[in-house]
Amino acid sequence: MEKAFLIQLAGSLAAVAALVGLAAWARISRAVDPLTPEAAEGLLAEEFPGRPFDQLWIARDGASALARSGDKALAVVRLGDGFVARAVAWNDLAQDEGDIVLRLPETAAPRLRLAIAWPLGAPA
Amino acid sequence: MKTSFDPVTYAIPFFVLAIVLEILLARAGRASARYETRDTLTSLGLGLGSSVAGALMGGIIFAASVWPYQYRVFDIPMTAIWAWVAVFLLEDLTYYWFHRLSHERRFWWAAHVNHHSSQHYNLSTALRQTWTGGVAGTWLLWLPLSLLGFPPAMIAIQKGISLIYQFWIHTETIGKLPRWFEAVFNTPSHHRVHHARNPRYLDRNYAGILIIWDRAFGTFQPELEAERCRYGIVRNLGDFNILRAAFHEWAAIGRDLGRAESAREALGYLFGPPGWSPDGSRETSAVLRARWASEAGLTRAAEAATDPTPAGR
Repeated sequence: MEKAFLIQLAGSLAAVAALVGLAAWARISRAVDPLTPEAAEGLLAEEFPGRPFDQLWIARDGASALARSGDKALAVVRLGDGFVARAVAWNDLAQDEGDIVLRLPETAAPRLRLAIAWPLGAPA
Repeated sequence: MKTSFDPVTYAIPFFVLAIVLEILLARAGRASARYETRDTLTSLGLGLGSSVAGALMGGIIFAASVWPYQYRVFDIPMTAIWAWVAVFLLEDLTYYWFHRLSHERRFWWAAHVNHHSSQHYNLSTALRQTWTGGVAGTWLLWLPLSLLGFPPAMIAIQKGISLIYQFWIHTETIGKLPRWFEAVFNTPSHHRVHHARNPRYLDRNYAGILIIWDRAFGTFQPELEAERCRYGIVRNLGDFNILRAAFHEWAAIGRDLGRAESAREALGYLFGPPGWSPDGSRETSAVLRARWASEAGLTRAAEAATDPTPAGR
């Protein structure tokens, strides 16, 4: 590789480190309050429009929620200051060390964990 | 061999300073930008990786664009103003179709999806560039310009100018610009729509510099105050892993090809729209948009049925 390219690469690496550090220092991510039933309902309505649900569970840490819509499980899981949403067959819900996990046949999100105890308690 | 003048290289310090400024303004409460640390790391890491991939592939791509130039139809001078106007318009039109192809056909979406995989929309998102675009071969779309007679260096410079233009529109800090500017140029507002995953906004505003192509080809969608943009992809990534962001759709294509039961299925998985499946069990953008339009129509009809306001008022 050319020397100029290596110098440019080293400079870029330093710039990336500095910018990430600046972003961390600035603390300007979105507010991430723990989910309430109302907030979870709004989020689920946004992620799964036209899919009514009749039962809702909020995770212990307020970072995820699970809803039952017929034979489907609708899940929203916090990632950073955003959320990842997936719908799976209700019967495909699995548990790991007592918590619900979604094992998904996809590379984008092969596994999502919800801090919701299994078997499920009373809905929110 | 690459063109000796690469405007993007010279713009990198400007990119860095602009991100610093956006973060500091947001920190001071003077800009609406939002940065999540791990998301920023992924965006900038993808940008860095893209520049390495570009260095590896750039010479081959430039050499490939020199080849048709040997058989050019016209001799277009690099020193003429009209030639720069022409290459500006034709390169931008080429970019529109490249970008549309990159969203509407899965093989090229696999190379482009990482640019859309952030749930944020800030200047660092602009640098979330492809690692696999060179391999996907979308650069072939620019070869007709060489064949027409535009010098390859001229095309490369114009491509760089387009990339630099598109940097500053990746921001929530700038609202809507004067109406005449929004009518002609791609703007932060138009491009926010492009990065949104709301069904109404899916596969819209493919423009590079000029938004007129979207208006001409029926893919324009203005940003609506009543519907805020929700950024990211229809099925957002489950973590901030940079390799997942760069390669997840390629891996998904490989998985699908492995279970294809016919050549038709294999071709559908490769070149059908993202979300295509033989049994229709997955959702394409067209399906999501159609469902949204149907539900929105039903909602409007229900509102009209309960609204006592006489029609036409």
